[in-house]
Amino acid sequence: MIMAHGHLSDDQLIEICLDRSLGARERQHLDVCPDCVGRRADIAQMLTDVTDTVVAEADAAFPAERLARQQARILHRLAQDGRPGRVIAFPATHAVEPPGPRARPGMRWMAGAAAAGMVIGLLAGHLVHDLPGQAPLAQVVSSRPRPAAGAPALRAVSTTLTEEEFLGQLELATQGSAGRALRPLDDLTPRVWEVSAR
Amino acid sequence: MPRTPPRRVAAPAAAGSPVQGPPLSKDSAIAADVKALVMSGARDAARERFADLVALQQRRAVRIAYQYLRDVHDADEAVQDAFVKVFTHIASYREDLPFEVWFTRILVNGCLDLRKARGRRLRWAVPMSPAGDTVSHEPIAPDPSPEARLVAAERGRQIAAAVEQLPERQRTVFTLCQVAEHSTSEVSQALGLSEATVRVHLFRAIRKLRRLLEHER
Repeated sequence: MIMAHGHLSDDQLIEICLDRSLGARERQHLDVCPDCVGRRADIAQMLTDVTDTVVAEADAAFPAERLARQQARILHRLAQDGRPGRVIAFPATHAVEPPGPRARPGMRWMAGAAAAGMVIGLLAGHLVHDLPGQAPLAQVVSSRPRPAAGAPALRAVSTTLTEEEFLGQLELATQGSAGRALRPLDDLTPRVWEVSAR
Repeated sequence: MPRTPPRRVAAPAAAGSPVQGPPLSKDSAIAADVKALVMSGARDAARERFADLVALQQRRAVRIAYQYLRDVHDADEAVQDAFVKVFTHIASYREDLPFEVWFTRILVNGCLDLRKARGRRLRWAVPMSPAGDTVSHEPIAPDPSPEARLVAAERGRQIAAAVEQLPERQRTVFTLCQVAEHSTSEVSQALGLSEATVRVHLFRAIRKLRRLLEHER
C-alpha cells in the first residue's frame, strides 16, 4: 500500500528492512523515489547500529575466556548431577565407636532413673491440670476475645522460609493498607546507605 | 564484529504448532543425539556430546541473557542454569521442534525469574557500591582515533539508553529477533505469543527506537 501523498509508509520501509516480501508496487516506487530510498537507508542503518551496539556490549562482557570458564562450570555441574552427596560424620572424632552391649552397668541405672522421672513428671502434670475447679488450658485460651472478621490476622512465619519466600511475604505485607499508612514514616526514616554516605 | 553464522530459516508456522521440515538444524541434531544417549543410559557420552551443543549456543545465549539482565554475573548464572535445565530435562525434548526455540524459552523464563528475584532483593537490601561489574557502552571500533572513539562511545551510550527505554515485551521481541536472529515464527513459539503479536511488538520497538535516536541526534 502506498501512502496518500505517494510515499511508502514507515511500517512498509521497516518491513522491507526486515527482509519481508517486497511487492511489485513498492519495488517500482523505490526505483523512482530517492526520498523513500533515503528513509529506507536511515532505518536500515539505525537497525544495524542498534544491533551491533547491543551485540558488542554483550560480547565485551563475555570474552572468550569467560565463555570457556562458563562452559567448564556447566559441564562440572552436569558431572556432579546424580552423584550421592558426601556425608560428613559429626562429630567426627566421637562417632567412631558406637555404644554397644559393653556399656557400664551404672549407665543403665542412670538411664532407667531418667525415664522413670520423665514418666512421673508427665503423670503429675496431667493430675494438676485435671483437678476439679481448674479450667483446662484450652478453655482459657478459647475464652479470649476473637479478632473481628475483617481484621488482618497475623500469619505464623515458618522458620524454614527461604529468602525468596520471606522477601515475598514482606512485599505482600507492605502492599496492604497498614503498609500504606506507614509509608510517610518510612519516607522520613534515613536509609543505611544514606547515613553511611555522609 | 563477529556474528553467529546464519541459521536455517524456519518455515512459517502458526504459534504452538511444530515447525515442519526434514533437514534438522545442527543444534537440533545434537540435542536428538544427547537425548538418545541419555535414554540409553550412556550419561558420560551424553555429557560429552552436550558440550558441543553448549559451544554452539553459548554465545547467542549470553547475548540474550545479558540484554535481559544487564549484569554479567546474573547473565552468567542464567545461562548456566538454562543449560543444566536442558540437560536434566532432555528426555522431554521433542525432536520435531527446533532445539533453539525450546532452549530460548527455558533461557527467557530463567532470566525473568532471576530478574524478579533480583528486584525483590534490591528493594530490601542495602545496595553495594554503584561501580559494579558493568561494561562500558563503547563499541569495538577498528579505527581508534580519539575523536572517532569518543563519538562512537557517545552513540553507543545513546543506543543502549534507547533500548533500555523500550517496554519489556518490545525489548524481548527486539532482542530475540535482531540480536539472537530468530525469525518471528520462532519468537512466537518461544514466547507463546501469536506471530502477529510478535510482529506488532517488533514494529513498535523499531518505531520507538527510531524516534528516540532521531531525537538524540
